[in-house]
Amino acid sequence: MRNSASLRSVLPLVAAASLLLAGCGGAAPAGSVPAGSAPVGPASAGSAPPSGFPFTVDNCGTKVTFTAPPQRAVTIKSTSTELLLALGLGERMVGTAFADGPVPERWQHDIPVISEQLPAQEPVLALEPDFVYAGWESNFSADGAGEREALAKLGVNTYVSPAACQQPGYRPAPLIFEHIFAGIREMGRIFDAGTAAEQLVAGQRAQLDAIEPHGRELSALWYSSGSDTPFVGGGSGAPQLVMEAAGLTNVAADVDQAWSPLSWEVVAERNPDVIVLVDSSWGSTEKKIGVLEAHPVISQLDAVKEGRYLVVPFAASEAGVRSVETVQSLVEQLAELD
Amino acid sequence: MSLREHSGQKITTTTSPATVAGRRPMSGVLWGAVLLIALVASVLIAVSIGPANLSPLQVLASVLRHLGLRPESFGVPVGLTAIQDGIVWELRLPRLLTAALVGAGLAVSGAVMQALTRNPLADPYLLGLSSGASLGAVAVLLLGAAVLLPVAAFAGAMAAMALTLGLASALGVITPTRTVLAGLAVSALASALTSFIIFFSAQGDSYREVLSWMMGSLSAATWGSVAIAGVAFAVAGTPVLLSGRILDGFAFGDTAAAALGLNVSAIRWLLLGGTAVLTGAMVSVSGSIGFVGLILPHAVRLLTGARHRALLPLSALAGALFMVWADTLARTLFDPREIPVGIITALLGAPVFIIMLWRWRNAS
Repeated sequence: MRNSASLRSVLPLVAAASLLLAGCGGAAPAGSVPAGSAPVGPASAGSAPPSGFPFTVDNCGTKVTFTAPPQRAVTIKSTSTELLLALGLGERMVGTAFADGPVPERWQHDIPVISEQLPAQEPVLALEPDFVYAGWESNFSADGAGEREALAKLGVNTYVSPAACQQPGYRPAPLIFEHIFAGIREMGRIFDAGTAAEQLVAGQRAQLDAIEPHGRELSALWYSSGSDTPFVGGGSGAPQLVMEAAGLTNVAADVDQAWSPLSWEVVAERNPDVIVLVDSSWGSTEKKIGVLEAHPVISQLDAVKEGRYLVVPFAASEAGVRSVETVQSLVEQLAELD
Repeated sequence: MSLREHSGQKITTTTSPATVAGRRPMSGVLWGAVLLIALVASVLIAVSIGPANLSPLQVLASVLRHLGLRPESFGVPVGLTAIQDGIVWELRLPRLLTAALVGAGLAVSGAVMQALTRNPLADPYLLGLSSGASLGAVAVLLLGAAVLLPVAAFAGAMAAMALTLGLASALGVITPTRTVLAGLAVSALASALTSFIIFFSAQGDSYREVLSWMMGSLSAATWGSVAIAGVAFAVAGTPVLLSGRILDGFAFGDTAAAALGLNVSAIRWLLLGGTAVLTGAMVSVSGSIGFVGLILPHAVRLLTGARHRALLPLSALAGALFMVWADTLARTLFDPREIPVGIITALLGAPVFIIMLWRWRNAS
């Protein structure tokens, strides 16, 4: 009896709080929506949710039900942050964390940064999010942003970039551009921003179709990180997808992983024509070139001796809205090498 | 060796009748009261500390509400969202209580292990428990074994213990040395298997979760963890806690203990088993948190002497108090990030251990 009484006393409070939150979301200025994307219809307080809601998605094996478009989203890692910004949803974002690098100029938006690294769950929850969108499954750990079930229990929906699902049956292998486009559409559906998502996909598809792959048969190593044992792009993830679209043959294509450790001996034996260097704040291009040139065997490869390097910023190296532009960039850099 | 001789020496002095009869029992009770008050106060303070900016009143309102009371009727204003309420009741409180129980369990287990093996360097993981638990946990986290993580960790710990005790008894009578060496062998084997699984099957950065678990972390604590640790402490911890008088009989060696009428082998078996179950349960909810079981009993000995009747309950209280603050540091020190609490216990524990070594040097 006492329990139900106390529960009843809580309910109006919760309702009031959610009204307040919905009100905040509804008050978002529409002027900040980038040109080219459709304005996002805010779910105003009191009115019924937009058509199509509620619905449930199966995200990396976790069922997530959306009763209304999220109004207070938190993003972890660059792929998630940049997709929401590309969809013009900056006003719905209350916090972001664990950026892999700076957000491109065209998507700049003032969003509070929770943490440069993976945040703990309490700082995330302190923002009262209704949606946490992470780039990697492992971001949802107890010592990270919180386990998915634990967040669900608190009424917070979670979502992982589908391209990063690891479980059998959910892992997209080999990754293709349609996977990335499907992810964009699903995010559009979640935020009731379907039109913006369709426009984004159409734009990306047109950009991709317009790219003329490099004509010559060139092999490439995707050097992501590491020095004693390099961590390289394997045959089933974003590195493979991007290199293939740019007309490059991945020397580690036979490794059925998105990324994988590979020994320098194997790299030497496969002798790539060019080396793609992933540039990050903790593993700069200069550092990687230093490692390559200091290695007794690798330094003798033609690619290293002739400095045949291509550079990809880390934030653009994972599957997402920047994958197409990464292909474009590789093709342009290849043209400059010739 | 000098450590061992010394701890024997200390026991001789503290149990000389003149000192025991007058001062010791009194100070033990006093210390117990002080530690108990400090523990309760610490839990109350720590629950209102955290990265999310919650006022003590909001915390109080959340707790009162979940206890079935109406905060308003106590004059506590309720300005609390569902998520803020969850932060207090689903995150902080179960985590603090788990920390206290794990700290208490590990410290008692450490004290008992040190007495049973007459080795001041003994800790609760001596029988290969933490390596066995890690193997079980890794099997779940990386190989996707379809069992709950605490169950697998507990099963791993118990398997390692059975293997250690089996090996030790196969060599003859269970002596301290045989127990320690058998534990070492089993640990090495389980660690190698764990490393192999991590190296071979970790995808992406899934090793992160494993690493955090192996260092010891309370970030995943739920009310389920509180229940596991609480039941283990009540069932396996209470009898161990009350074994102080028997352990005092053990302090002078197996022969002396037998002369006092104790069945040395049976008691050693029972206590090793009980401690292992207790430790296994703690490891299953927290991962292997180091140094608590090793350091706390020594620290308490410095305060109250080596008599186990006082040492065991006081170690439990001190261990709980220590873990509550260690975990509070783990989740607040690097806000907005957090680190595994095992790093904190080692960072605090190692210097304390060095200080104690220094004191032993002066004493001997």
